[in-house]
Amino acid sequence: MITGTGITKTFRQRGHVLGGQTVQALRGVDFAIPKGGAASFIGESGCGKTTLGRIIAGLESWDAGEITIDGAAMSPLKPKARQPYFRRIQMIHQDPYSALNPTRTIHQTLHAPLKLRARQTGRSAAWVEERAAEVLTLVGLDPGAVLGRYPHQLSGGMRQRVVIARALTVDPEMLVADEAVSMIDVSLRLGILGLLKDLRERLGVSVLFITHDVATARYIGDDGELYVIYRGQVVEHGRVDTVISEPVHPYTQALLSAIPVLHGLEEPGAQPVVPAGGPEAAVDDAGCLFAARCPFRTERCLAERPTLQVTAGVPQEHACFHPERRSVVARPLAEV
Amino acid sequence: MTSVILETSSASLRRNFWRGVWRVMKRKPSRMAGVLILIGFAFMATAGPLFYPDNLPRDVNNTYGPMTWEHPFGTDGQGKDVLAQVVTGSQYVLLSALVTALITVVLGTAIGLFSGFKRGRWDTVLMRLTDMKLTIPGLPLLLVLSTVWKFGSAVEMGLVLGLLNWGTVARAVRSQTLSLRERGFIEAARGLGLSTGHIIGKELLPTMAPYIAMNMLISVTGAVYAQVGLFFLGVLPYEADNWGVMLNLAVFGGGAMTTAAALPYLLAPLLAILLLTLGIVLVVDAMDEIFNPRLREE
Amino acid sequence: MTAVRIDGLTVVYKTPLGELPAVRDVSLELPAGSITGIVGESGSGKSTLALSLLNAVQPPGRIAAGSVEIGGLGDIVGLKGERLRQARGAKIGYVFQAAQNSLNPLKTVGKQLLDLGRSHGVADLRALVREARELLGRMGMDGARVLDSYQHELSGGMRQRVGIMLALVLNAHVVVLDEPTTALDMITQATILKIIREIHAERGLTTLVITHDIGVVAEVADRLAVMYGGRLVEQGPTREVLASPRHPYTRGLIRAIPRLTGDIGLAQALPGRPPTLATVPREGCVFRERCPLRMEVCESVDPPSAAYGERLVACHATAMAGATREETA
Repeated sequence: MITGTGITKTFRQRGHVLGGQTVQALRGVDFAIPKGGAASFIGESGCGKTTLGRIIAGLESWDAGEITIDGAAMSPLKPKARQPYFRRIQMIHQDPYSALNPTRTIHQTLHAPLKLRARQTGRSAAWVEERAAEVLTLVGLDPGAVLGRYPHQLSGGMRQRVVIARALTVDPEMLVADEAVSMIDVSLRLGILGLLKDLRERLGVSVLFITHDVATARYIGDDGELYVIYRGQVVEHGRVDTVISEPVHPYTQALLSAIPVLHGLEEPGAQPVVPAGGPEAAVDDAGCLFAARCPFRTERCLAERPTLQVTAGVPQEHACFHPERRSVVARPLAEV
Repeated sequence: MTSVILETSSASLRRNFWRGVWRVMKRKPSRMAGVLILIGFAFMATAGPLFYPDNLPRDVNNTYGPMTWEHPFGTDGQGKDVLAQVVTGSQYVLLSALVTALITVVLGTAIGLFSGFKRGRWDTVLMRLTDMKLTIPGLPLLLVLSTVWKFGSAVEMGLVLGLLNWGTVARAVRSQTLSLRERGFIEAARGLGLSTGHIIGKELLPTMAPYIAMNMLISVTGAVYAQVGLFFLGVLPYEADNWGVMLNLAVFGGGAMTTAAALPYLLAPLLAILLLTLGIVLVVDAMDEIFNPRLREE
Repeated sequence: MTAVRIDGLTVVYKTPLGELPAVRDVSLELPAGSITGIVGESGSGKSTLALSLLNAVQPPGRIAAGSVEIGGLGDIVGLKGERLRQARGAKIGYVFQAAQNSLNPLKTVGKQLLDLGRSHGVADLRALVREARELLGRMGMDGARVLDSYQHELSGGMRQRVGIMLALVLNAHVVVLDEPTTALDMITQATILKIIREIHAERGLTTLVITHDIGVVAEVADRLAVMYGGRLVEQGPTREVLASPRHPYTRGLIRAIPRLTGDIGLAQALPGRPPTLATVPREGCVFRERCPLRMEVCESVDPPSAAYGERLVACHATAMAGATREETA
């Protein structure tokens, strides 16, 4: 179980000697990912979802709030003492091309963490070799064909599988997949998503999926939870299926409306929501963070900032004064 | 399964590496020429002096002699064979250049890597040190040093030049490290809990190998120019048999700039330096392909 | 009326294994005033095809056969030097990938606009700037401010709009957009696609969109062409192709798109991997390695493009199914 409460993070813009501008990447985010569970962080680029993922994977520090891993709070611990906890959370990077060292064979890449593991658990060198083949088989690769290769000799999809295999060498509790399929050929994406889902079911690894494409989030598991993040704040949170079929926050609705419709195969949702302007139109004042772009804003939205809460008649948490279910998602007309 | 393990053992990887190097070298005839030139110089420096007596015979009747079969590059002001001097002199030049290159690369790489990887306070301190070192003008310092130190042995010479030269390499390696450490595979290695030693030695260093190898070869030429220059200027005593000393004697002793007689005496060491530089430049061209598995295997 | 007619185009790249075709015997017509979308994965040859439209294939590649007729310009494959340079920009606009930084980081957008104008011998630079400002304004940006900006001051979506402006400001009537929304997030993508659609209609352009994302094509294009391994395997009206794909690759590709609704289990990845220049089969069907309908004839005979109404499909299995259907009918 991994939880976060009130995580905040502020970046100081570089290039300014005296203070300079600051960017609020995260404004008090709460989340909980149960053992073997699935969660997705959704939002535009720059909304803070990647920063949050990196904090969870132990690659970035946070300013305030608390992260607990299996009941242990991380803030009081020294960086060295945090390491064994964060090792249980492995990051799958977006770019399978830079995630593998081009000068090392797949065998060498898997060997290093496995040897470390063997030393920690008192296992033999033979175990290292066996386990290397095992993790490759787990991710659907043929060890005989892959071990001796260099990364450039593999396709993007195979590389991403190797990256996942490398993460599995340390028996992680959770995989953090940051846009893990966006750089992979379209025909192979579902294979990687299916693999993550499969690992969840077979090994009980929980999966945190970070993406701007809501549709891919569904494929990790329909029991997963969706966190919609806008400018560092969670604006809607609930079960994937609930949020997709009946979103209540206008930003979630805008995100879902933006997904292309396969005309001829689908028909557009009944009430598409189009935000005004791009993220650059946003202003940081006392009101709702989305107010400047929201087509449904009222006086209250400009004066007061809503917090994440549950209201009557809405199954999911949301941060909106005027939650209204809208049907925005395209409906299928036929099967291929 | 066992066959897979055997196939990917480190011994066979090393064998594949050298096979790949051979393939890269064969790709362009110019590279082979470069390698041959460098092998030639190595042979000249190690075995060359064995062909000549310790004290080269003088012939007072044949000073600044013309180019003949007996003396391919003529003779010097004392009637000694010029070619023989180039050959025997190469040992000092090449040995000191090699020492310089080694020190430059080892020191520069170590400091650059450490600084770039650790960042923070270590980085600040080391880079200020490097900047300070870079601002010290090399030649004047050498001139001052030469008044108290005679640079009798090649190793001493190389040591001094090396200690003067590592700054640029350190700066370059640091900036490479800074950009590489943001790459996914370095971050992944840290996330997996691999040691800093592993990350620096096994992940960062091989990725920068072509870069470091290039710097090493280029600093060899730099070191040759530097010390030949010092001897040529005459700030160092003529104790050692040296290409720089030859140039000095040819110009200031034999008047090679004004009369034709001493011209071969001047040209011979110049030609040697030119050829050495050419060999290095031709080989540097292959470095990228040698250390990049993709370019190597294709 | 046809604005662009590509006929039997073959583009080869020189490799250590000899000259390998990245685009092989492709014929495609872009009707004037239409938006055509070309969909393909990495290595399908779609970007090479797009560059051929400008006769801008870089060595070691070259156009080995075929022609690209552009309305009012003739065969661009035969153009050289100054005439080719003038054609690019003035007749055909090219918008580079959003992900790439195709703008010069050291010059403001306005400076680059003036450079473009001067190199094409535009006499009235003031009018050019006015036109650019109008176009930017049309795309929802503050034209004057954007012209004064450097690349790093613009977001991905804004850069993409600047790219579209630069491609259109010289009044090009044929526009090629290479991966116009890659690396942009969903909302920005939707905005850009809307702009493409609207500007296309307003200016009466002939537009070609190159992408790996069928969704993008489905949103903007009237016609859809699917490329695989350097071959055009299926083309036709977008809605028709999406609703009833005939080539097994098109079907597989559509089935492989993660969707928001419907049964998760129905979506499936295509087995195997897309071919590269070196691994694409020299003879027979390029798709057979991954094809569920593979037959013996696919090994040796390259399936010809057969017409089914407005649709062109290059597949032996489809041809056979079509034949049986006709017989039974």
